[in-house]
Amino acid sequence: MVREIENVAGIPVVQIATIVPIMMTVGTNRIVPGVAIPHPVGDPEAGPEGDRKKRRELLMRALKAMTTEVHEQTIFEK
Amino acid sequence: MRLELRKAFVKDIQWGDTTKLENNVLYVNMEEAKASVLDDENFVDVDLDLARPGESVRIIPVKDAIEPRIKLEGGESFFPGFFAPMEPVGEGATLVLKGAAVITCGPLVGIQEGFIDMSGPAAPYNPFSGTYNLVMVAKPVDNLEKHAYERSLRDAGLKLSIYLAEKCMDAKIDDVEVYEKGTIPEENEKYPDLPKITYFCMSITQGLLHDTFLYAADMKNIVPTMVHPNEILDGAMVSGNCVSACDKNTTYHHVNDPIVLELYKRHGKEINFLGVIPTLESTVLAGKQRSTWMNAMLAKMMGADGVVISEEGYGNPDTDLCMNAKKCEDMGIKTVVISDEAAGEDGSSQGLADATPEMNGFVSAGNVNEMIEVPPMDKVIGYEESIAYVSGGAVESLREDGSMYVELQSIIGSTNELGFSKLGCEWV
Repeated sequence: MVREIENVAGIPVVQIATIVPIMMTVGTNRIVPGVAIPHPVGDPEAGPEGDRKKRRELLMRALKAMTTEVHEQTIFEK
Repeated sequence: MRLELRKAFVKDIQWGDTTKLENNVLYVNMEEAKASVLDDENFVDVDLDLARPGESVRIIPVKDAIEPRIKLEGGESFFPGFFAPMEPVGEGATLVLKGAAVITCGPLVGIQEGFIDMSGPAAPYNPFSGTYNLVMVAKPVDNLEKHAYERSLRDAGLKLSIYLAEKCMDAKIDDVEVYEKGTIPEENEKYPDLPKITYFCMSITQGLLHDTFLYAADMKNIVPTMVHPNEILDGAMVSGNCVSACDKNTTYHHVNDPIVLELYKRHGKEINFLGVIPTLESTVLAGKQRSTWMNAMLAKMMGADGVVISEEGYGNPDTDLCMNAKKCEDMGIKTVVISDEAAGEDGSSQGLADATPEMNGFVSAGNVNEMIEVPPMDKVIGYEESIAYVSGGAVESLREDGSMYVELQSIIGSTNELGFSKLGCEWV
């Protein structure tokens, strides 16, 4: 889906998911590593405040990834 | 370490006044058997039922299957850390009621359980259509928390299997198998020229009702370790999994692990079987990296030339599978993996979620998405409507006449990745 949206619609896509090697295998261009499979975009174990902080940080990182030009598959670690 | 598996064959199961094995018929005293599990305050009651090969019976939703076993010598009870002392197992003698199984069932715990048909087209796909089954259907108290319910069901299955075996401790033994293997240095000295082989038993360890236990340790909280193959055959591993039915390793599968048995058969002839590494499938990337590195390092330090790797489940564990293969191959250790495939209804989709060129020896255990039509059965033990919530089933799967149109993945053990099924795939 990630590749098709980019190919057909020309809209850049950032994928946030936990298992980076799978995103590499399927050909995602902009990759943001998520937290864990049961909760990729949050960290409930860090408590409500820590969870909110993590969610915001991931979202900001994804927005940064989306506005960054890439020429190969790129993992945005921070 | 020397383990005798003393097998008493079960060729029928009947209700009786006394629980015993006589002339290969397992008689079960229903009230006494019930009492063995009703000391759990999470159960209001349990129903017991019998299911024999060839009968028109469907059991759904199935949580676990357990082979009745008990220590006769060199230990007591069974399942160390659960109902046997927290001591190493794999030594002495163990009674096996071969041909019998305890099947646990009840209102759905997790969304990923499955069914067993004792006859019809689905029967050949699961091993428990060929066993004489004591089926326990739990009636949990209202609003029981799911993890507590899972634990109670898991414990009840183990207890019931131990109860059966305990009552048959003086049964006539039909067959004895001996599993004996020394320390790694001892075996290396005996077989200096044979290739040294180990086995990674990848296990689902993901929490949220997806757990496996090693000596009662919740494996998601451990790092990989090495055990003697006898420990696996003697109840060290227990399933706590509500995972996709087709490729979960039930507790029955673990004590009958065909990879352990086959490697043992070849030990001292074709290979030197070093031992088993029960390992994890973590939900975080760092966990996958850590456990696969540790597996490869353990194999290397044991001097392994080759490793057999089995997967449990599919999807994200495909990455653990790839990492295990890659890290070993990069260290010069040859690998072969056993996995099933989620290749779509027609088998034309990519079978695994992940891939790596180092995964160069692949044994397929079948396609979980293949569809099968199963006719209605005369009798349903459990809750047939739960097919709507089983992986491989859907709301529309169950038809008015009781027949179902489902994916193979809803059948317990149909694509088992230890190779405990009859399915495979051909290279085309």
